[in-house]
Amino acid sequence: MTPRYDVIVIGGGHAGVEAAAASARLGCRTLLLTPDLSRLGQLSCNPAIGGVAKGIVVREVDALGGLLGRAADAARIHFRMLNRSKGPAVWGPRAQCDRGLYPRMVRQALEELEGLELFQEMVTRVELGGEEGFGVETLGGLRFQGKAVVVTTGTFLRGRIHVGTGTGISGGRAGEAPSVELAEALEGLGLEMARFKTGTPPRVDGRTVDFARLKLQPGDGESFRFSLYSREASLPEKPCWTTWTGEGLKKVVQENLQRSALYGGVISGRGPRYCPSIEDKVVRFPEAAGHQVFLEPEGLETSELYVNGLSTSLPADVQEVLLRTVPGLEEVRMTKVGYAIEYDYFPPHQLQSTLEVKGMPGLFLAGQVNGTTGYEEAAGQGLVAGANAALKVQARRPFVLERDQAYIGVLIDDLVTKGVDEPYRLFTSRAEFRVLLRQDNAASRLGPLARDLGLLTFRQERALKERLALEETVRVWFRDTSLSPEVANQVLGEGAGEHVSEATRAVELLKRPGVGAERLAEAGGGLVEAEGMRDAMVAVEVEVKYQGYVAREVERARRLREQADFQLHQDLPYRQFVTLSMEAREKLERIRPGSLAQAGRIPGVSPADLQNLMMEVRRWKKDGQPRPTLSSSPASPGHSERNGE
Amino acid sequence: MANADTIVALGTPPGVAALSVIRLSGPSCAEIVRRICPGIPAEPEPRRAMLARALDPDTGASLDQVLVTVFPGPESYTGEDMAEVSCHGGWLSPALILEACLCAGALRAQEGEFTRRAFLNGKMDLLQVEAVLDLIESRTPALHGAAVHQLERGLSRRIGGLREGLVDLEAMLMHHLDFPEEDDPPVPTPRILARAGDLVGMMEELLRTAPEGELLREGAVTVLAGLPNSGKSSLFNALLGEERAIVTEVPGTTRDALEAVVSLGGFPFRLVDTAGLRETREKVERMGVEVARRYLRGADVILFCVEAERALQVSERRFLDEVAETPVVLVRTKSDLHAGEEPRAPRGPEPLPEPEGAGHGIEGVVSLSAKTGRGLEQLRDLLPGLAFRGLVSSGAEIPVLTRRRHAGAIGVALEELRAFVEALAGGLPAEVAATHLRPAETALEELLGVIPREEVLDRLFQDFCIGK
Ligand SMILES: Nc1nc2c(ncn2[C@@H]2O[C@H](COP(=O)(O)OP(=O)(O)OP(=O)(O)O)[C@@H](O)[C@H]2O)c(=O)[nH]1
Ligand SMILES: [Mg+2]
Repeated sequence: MTPRYDVIVIGGGHAGVEAAAASARLGCRTLLLTPDLSRLGQLSCNPAIGGVAKGIVVREVDALGGLLGRAADAARIHFRMLNRSKGPAVWGPRAQCDRGLYPRMVRQALEELEGLELFQEMVTRVELGGEEGFGVETLGGLRFQGKAVVVTTGTFLRGRIHVGTGTGISGGRAGEAPSVELAEALEGLGLEMARFKTGTPPRVDGRTVDFARLKLQPGDGESFRFSLYSREASLPEKPCWTTWTGEGLKKVVQENLQRSALYGGVISGRGPRYCPSIEDKVVRFPEAAGHQVFLEPEGLETSELYVNGLSTSLPADVQEVLLRTVPGLEEVRMTKVGYAIEYDYFPPHQLQSTLEVKGMPGLFLAGQVNGTTGYEEAAGQGLVAGANAALKVQARRPFVLERDQAYIGVLIDDLVTKGVDEPYRLFTSRAEFRVLLRQDNAASRLGPLARDLGLLTFRQERALKERLALEETVRVWFRDTSLSPEVANQVLGEGAGEHVSEATRAVELLKRPGVGAERLAEAGGGLVEAEGMRDAMVAVEVEVKYQGYVAREVERARRLREQADFQLHQDLPYRQFVTLSMEAREKLERIRPGSLAQAGRIPGVSPADLQNLMMEVRRWKKDGQPRPTLSSSPASPGHSERNGE
Repeated sequence: MANADTIVALGTPPGVAALSVIRLSGPSCAEIVRRICPGIPAEPEPRRAMLARALDPDTGASLDQVLVTVFPGPESYTGEDMAEVSCHGGWLSPALILEACLCAGALRAQEGEFTRRAFLNGKMDLLQVEAVLDLIESRTPALHGAAVHQLERGLSRRIGGLREGLVDLEAMLMHHLDFPEEDDPPVPTPRILARAGDLVGMMEELLRTAPEGELLREGAVTVLAGLPNSGKSSLFNALLGEERAIVTEVPGTTRDALEAVVSLGGFPFRLVDTAGLRETREKVERMGVEVARRYLRGADVILFCVEAERALQVSERRFLDEVAETPVVLVRTKSDLHAGEEPRAPRGPEPLPEPEGAGHGIEGVVSLSAKTGRGLEQLRDLLPGLAFRGLVSSGAEIPVLTRRRHAGAIGVALEELRAFVEALAGGLPAEVAATHLRPAETALEELLGVIPREEVLDRLFQDFCIGK
């Protein structure tokens, strides 16, 4: 008999493991199928997790009960808080991880979950199975039955690897086979596909690097942790190094451009602008004197280094010559060649905000298959898709994060409303409510939501409760603690305004420029050091210091939400809505947004279109079909007899 | 293809005229025109007038000799297929042809529907739509000029430029916030502030045109005020060139306020004749004085009438004190009664001798006779410079904000941008200061009627080297 599951997750990358874990945490019988169980959550590109915007996503995934933050904490060998000198809303925590250790930590976390089964097998077919749900078939001829399926196959769908201008090798990642049959099967279900490309740099043997010529980039040594819920033991730190490319490299690239897969015309798919190959950089910015290169440690037990910034698809022999032009790498030995990879993705306008495929109930897509890049983006999608697959099986309400709630909400909304025309990566600038979506407030932003949904394990719930209580303690401390003038004036530094002459409440002092919460707490005394204290301090500091701004943003978000409340039915006859512009009708027909607010974010849909759309929908609801009567025109000329203007 | 319906309307006013134009827009234009004018070829040459006979589609009766021109979309006014039928003017021909079009399947257009379709099909933005209206309705060269400029995207370009400026600011900040490890160092804050300062200046410049720009559409409220019998109604009539107000030698003749629009030096003025200002127990007159005072409060210019040669009375001085905020022209009326003085009357506005001019908004003195017309020209020349000072001095080619909507939107954008500058200069984090940029952009987008996205990214990648 075919084994039956509630949810089957195909793929064991960052999206797959989060999807499977979320589904299992929600209590569904879940199966994760992947060709190689030793590579669960494999760091296939650079061995770093987090960064600007991405670091906030890690905290969001974590607050929602996911694995990413916890595994990163456990495998971390270097940590930096990017944007430290800027406002707290854009701080970007980033960890370098031990590439070998990370997948083991992921596996360990997965194995703690009840109701989750892991199975090593390559999937070749997915069939829509009516009431039975889906049939999933593997290369080894095994069959499984699932009520819902989440596909998270990353770059494996018809993946093709290029090093130089040879014909390319089929592969999903270096050294791994691609999924060709599965791609065909999914295409057979009626899914639209397109092609992207991306690249990786070579890796080098650290023993052949002249570190004296590199700039040391030590870690921050901070006690920062991604995870709210678990406290992983910390590993020793390893530094990163930086250097710059120069004229020598430029010459090598220019002379060999025709031998590059990207420039020799072998690859056609679009690549990410913000993760360009060294070929791209040299061609697009010929006047630039050089480009920065980061050498990142691959792990504790190896000297191998990842050469971030030199992503390339030049032939292997050229790569070595090219590396050796870089100061500090004159004698370097390459350990792995860089390569470009082309792969199929599913243009994400085919998805609903739950990441379920429109018109194919029970089929979910998450991760790089939706045209994104980055582990964090994949993990966020995986969690949302897995949770929704489980909720669907349980006949519960879907789980959708709004743009003012989480970067994950921004990400998914961007995907499904705007689609992608290059691999999508998150930036803080993609969020309208940057000031609200911070790394320090992930717990209070998303924790309760996850708890109420049932996404947290018992242990996570308890930790959340403690954390929220701690935040409240800090808030109350600042509100109720008065500092004597002597103590207060010591904290007031330069530019913090006049000294005080009487006892002043800590919250008032915190409003002054340059006065930090931690200093105040230290001076005032009485707060007991605890895990998460630092986050709580930052959260309170932001709340107090930027009160007016935060309130304004909350209000702006509320107004947008009101608009979002106007739901758009999935089978509106957009083509018949003749009061809308042609372009708007076509876009709406294709994308079928879920709400008016979403419609408003589609490029080409104007405010005038939105107004008319609202009216058309009301008419449609009232009498079942639209009349081509024109509503109030944007401006109506005065003369009724002379209306031919 | 665009709209499912084909609409039709008369493009010219009904009535006796040499020509009249019937306009059609929509997918069945060509078909409808061929049903009325069967002589037209199946594939008519675009944008070329063709002589044809128009027939009643039902009876086949001949209706008129017409010229037919077809404009295939999208290169037409509405962006859809269009046709124009020029027929003879008059009461019947145009109406019969319109009727025939309706019989042949066209729908009667709603008010402004052609322009509305043009807007929805992206042929014009909201500002251009407004310009079309102003153009049709303008009665003065000044509004006409502003409307043409606006229709030709003068204002749209300016607003679009401002919006792009804001996107630039966002891109600079994005580089700063989102790419901390890039090859290029972040854009220095002074440069961002300088760019924002430029935009503030441009918005202010534009906003300064608004009070006068709005007057271009409404007309500058020009109130004739003065003691009873000082010659206000006579001056009103003289400026209008017709006997609109009742004139008698009895003080207190005018009771209710009387309005009329007149073009002076190309600019629109709303002249208001009012009751003479005096304390009175007579009920109707007292109410008239009340009305006069209300008008005076909203006046853009006051023509204060005082008989020539007469010293200003205490009540008149007090009045001038009350309206010190408004530009006043002191009109010395009935100058013909003092013929002896005329050779001495100066050509330009005579300076008001102390203490009469001190502290008042008196911008000029004109010696004038409604009877002979002497001094009228001088007054006409003087007024545009008072009510439309900015527009007169800046010349024609700068865009003008003619609607409250415009000033409102730019006002919001300006306020947000100033707050952004203040926040950034005051040391607040860039992402906090940046919360002011989106509302500013939204205000301008609403003004144009467009919504953009992805633009910040596009801008960024064209200007900066982003790697890694
Ligand atoms: N000779 C001469 N008489 C004038 C002139 N302007 C007005 N008058 C006369 O002055 C008298 C009052 O003129 P109006 O124009 O009615 O004065 P008003 O200020 O409107 O008076 P009220 O409506 O009563 O406040 C009439 O008898 C006019 O004929 C002028 O320029 N020359
Ligand atoms: Mg009068």
